[in-house]
Amino acid sequence: MSLLQIKNLSVEFGSDKNPFRAVEGLDLTVDQGEIVGIVGESGSGKSVTMMAMMGLLEGQGRIVADQLEFDGKNLLTISARERRKIVGKDISMIFQDPMTALNPSFTVGYQIMEVLKLHQGLRGAALKARALELMEMVEIPAAASRLSAYPHQLSGGMSQRVAIAMAIACNPKLLIADEPTTALDVTIQAQIMELLVSLQQSQNMALILITHDLAVVAEVAQRLAVMYAGQVAEMGKVPDIFRHPTHPYTEALLKSIPEHSKGAHRLSTLPGIVPGQYDRPSGCLLSPRCPYVQERCRAERPALTPLPQGAVRCHFPLYDKESR
Amino acid sequence: MFSFILRRLGLLLPTFFGITLITFGLIRLIPGDPVEVMVGERTLDPQMHADAMHRLGLDKPIYLQYVDYLHNLATGHLGESLVTKDSVWKEFTTLFPATLELAVMAMLFAAVFGLLAGVIAAIKRGSIFDHGVMGLALTGFSMPIFWWGLILIMFFSVKLGWTPVSGRLDLAFDIAPRTGFMLIDAWLAEAADPSLNAGAFKDALKHLILPAIVLGTIPLAVIARMTRSSMLEVLREDYVRTARAKGLSPARVIFIHTLRNAMIPVLTVMGLQVGTLMGGAVLTETIFSWPGIGKWLIDAISRRDYPVVQNGILMVATLVILVNFIVDILYGIANPRIRHAK
Amino acid sequence: MANVQASPVATAADEVALSYPSPLKEFWQGFSHNKGAVAGLIFMIAIAVSALLAPWLAPYNPIEQYRDAILAPPAWMDGGTSRFLFGTDELGRDLLSRLIHGARLSLLIGLTSVVMAMVPGVILGLIAAFFPKVLGSLIMRLMDIMMALPALLLAVAIVAILGPGLINTMIAIAIVALPAYVRLTRASAMTELNRDYVTASRVAGAGLLRLMFVCVLPNCMAPLIVHATMSFSSAILEAAALGFLGLGVQPPTPEWGTMLASARDYIERAWWVVTLPGVTILLSVLAINLMGDGLRDALDPKLKRAA
Repeated sequence: MSLLQIKNLSVEFGSDKNPFRAVEGLDLTVDQGEIVGIVGESGSGKSVTMMAMMGLLEGQGRIVADQLEFDGKNLLTISARERRKIVGKDISMIFQDPMTALNPSFTVGYQIMEVLKLHQGLRGAALKARALELMEMVEIPAAASRLSAYPHQLSGGMSQRVAIAMAIACNPKLLIADEPTTALDVTIQAQIMELLVSLQQSQNMALILITHDLAVVAEVAQRLAVMYAGQVAEMGKVPDIFRHPTHPYTEALLKSIPEHSKGAHRLSTLPGIVPGQYDRPSGCLLSPRCPYVQERCRAERPALTPLPQGAVRCHFPLYDKESR
Repeated sequence: MFSFILRRLGLLLPTFFGITLITFGLIRLIPGDPVEVMVGERTLDPQMHADAMHRLGLDKPIYLQYVDYLHNLATGHLGESLVTKDSVWKEFTTLFPATLELAVMAMLFAAVFGLLAGVIAAIKRGSIFDHGVMGLALTGFSMPIFWWGLILIMFFSVKLGWTPVSGRLDLAFDIAPRTGFMLIDAWLAEAADPSLNAGAFKDALKHLILPAIVLGTIPLAVIARMTRSSMLEVLREDYVRTARAKGLSPARVIFIHTLRNAMIPVLTVMGLQVGTLMGGAVLTETIFSWPGIGKWLIDAISRRDYPVVQNGILMVATLVILVNFIVDILYGIANPRIRHAK
Repeated sequence: MANVQASPVATAADEVALSYPSPLKEFWQGFSHNKGAVAGLIFMIAIAVSALLAPWLAPYNPIEQYRDAILAPPAWMDGGTSRFLFGTDELGRDLLSRLIHGARLSLLIGLTSVVMAMVPGVILGLIAAFFPKVLGSLIMRLMDIMMALPALLLAVAIVAILGPGLINTMIAIAIVALPAYVRLTRASAMTELNRDYVTASRVAGAGLLRLMFVCVLPNCMAPLIVHATMSFSSAILEAAALGFLGLGVQPPTPEWGTMLASARDYIERAWWVVTLPGVTILLSVLAINLMGDGLRDALDPKLKRAA
């Protein structure tokens, strides 16, 4: 059985009269020790999905799903108290901007030890030793002295390492990394990714990597879900999707990676933006931007159709070119 | 931390000297004859007038007069009241505990309820409670407190008879001032001689409660509004999401991770309220016949007791800047980013 | 490589964006969104109208004493007569007439002291921003000192020197309000000075006065207007407090605070003498503060987002 199973998850914001679906009919499974990439432009619902699962939306969003199960526990019916025993321990999350993700009023050590106290009941010397061990695991130099540093005294890369140390403190079964390198310098980005992958292997965690950068996913992930406007556009194994994208949106994303457009004169871009609350088209959500758009696409929303190697949400998937 | 305190101290001194300049100038700006103003008598005899001018140092150049004034201040000579002939310093120190007791209770009342209301309003944002609290806070902020005092007296003292109308303690009790704080003195006296002074503490508390509410009303409103908006701002911060992602309880997320940071601007505002409290004390003490600094100053003004007005204002202003200095230091402790700023 | 046409959505969005509302309309939309602010505005218009038309609206001369009707209760009470709608005070003067005439004084004191504080405050603030080294820091230290004194105490001290009265009340309140204007103007002018449009005018050869008043000042107006509203309400409160202490407008002039000065003696006998002037002060100040909140929402986009 999968570690995480999500079936038909929807998240709605706004008033009852004027609802906005940030996530719509999302399916996702993650197995133990697996790296899954979730890719999409900003506003495509990647983060909201994960926040909904962890109960971080704080009553702002309405969550509906057929199934939302982690490690055999039903996250839909679980009490807030029970959920808090899982969140931060078995599922943990690291965020995009490390400079604002740490509380400026407390030392780094305090913020790491807080998790250990809460979930593992560590006290005294054992607590301090474990915090130090974690700081060393995330390769922070001079770890002992940095325990008493305040976040504003650390660089962005260091802060992200601290955030990772906090997230892996209780040996989670699933780590969600929400654009963990986007806010960092290019040289630091590679280091942090390397650290995440090596920790994932040594701790045997599952890792969900949320990113808008397909290149990162190509290097580390086994499976991939491409999201567009709150829906999964395509999902499957990484090598399959990279070799034969079946959704026009995936194809466009791949073409926008420099390494993939060798020989092209200019880097391809997809014009327009992800539709917002008020400008959702009535047909396929990609139809205003899709290069292959047909009449049926403007009239009728496609459903997610299973394929041998995954699933795709398109009336005219790219594998049967002759039907166009 | 030490150098941080020193830097703040460096800003304090010029302000203090500026205030001495104002209080020094105050007396000289009063229209009329300076001897009349200083001595409070109409000395018609020119020789006596000249003697008085010399005795008071008023025949010296103005800058030397200021140096004299500073010298007197430095050696603790704050002059004497024209009415009671007591030294201003002695009167101040006798009356100050009454004002301090009132101000501390008012601030306690304002801080406890203001923080509580602000935090709950922020958590329940948009609810009826939130709207109600914010409406009440704006009303409190708009309150003419001298009238508010009268209304409370009318209701609780006259109509219901729950609280006394004025003063600090019933005349039936005779309690020697030991600390100057009536609550403590009454408690000590009651403990020392329970038969004679039974109920003294309760009586002192009853006297204190209405003035403290009146004086605390505006700070309460300001603190509630500031706490709410500051909490809302901090609740949107990424690190609050991080705290929740750690699986911390909502209480811990609110009171440790959010409130700690939201307190920083609230603390500043609380410090600024000390000025409001001293201004409000003038009105509150007048309404409740509370024998403190505020009533003392107003009485001195109406009696044209200028030495008291001059140095009384100096003492109060010094007090206010000292409290703001302490708040600055606390601010540094609460906010590591400020403390480490070079 | 896929060659894609420009999306139709983008052009539609461009057309919508072309019809911007006028600044005034945009302001009114923001302001009227706040129901409390609109209620405050309506109340203040009513107060202003009754102040302007006081001699015609008030049923009696506010200082005329009706010895036959001393402490007459309001009309709806037992023993009240329709002759005096809100009753009379201890000298038999009609309370309603006194309250209506009192509105004139309160608005007059508020307006005058706001202007008297704002004009020099803005000029000093601009000077402090344009010459930050010597002149600026001198001005700011002076303002720090004035701010160290509690507002009401400073006002009391000034009136103690100048003597009580209407003009001196206005002067005292204006002096107390001055430092906040200087600080606010300086702070917003300093941020504007770093903007490119100021540099551009400088390069174009704009003179100092032009830079100060034509170039920079209009861009500092939003917070100043909001603050002026708030200081208008505190001016009314302070004037009333001074009147209550016997240091403000002197009797028999019908000032709201002065009317309360003697009210303490009638707590047990005549609640209307105590209650009505205070309610009038509270409602007026509340109305102005509600308007101030609405103005801030409508004028200050930064604060709007935070609220």
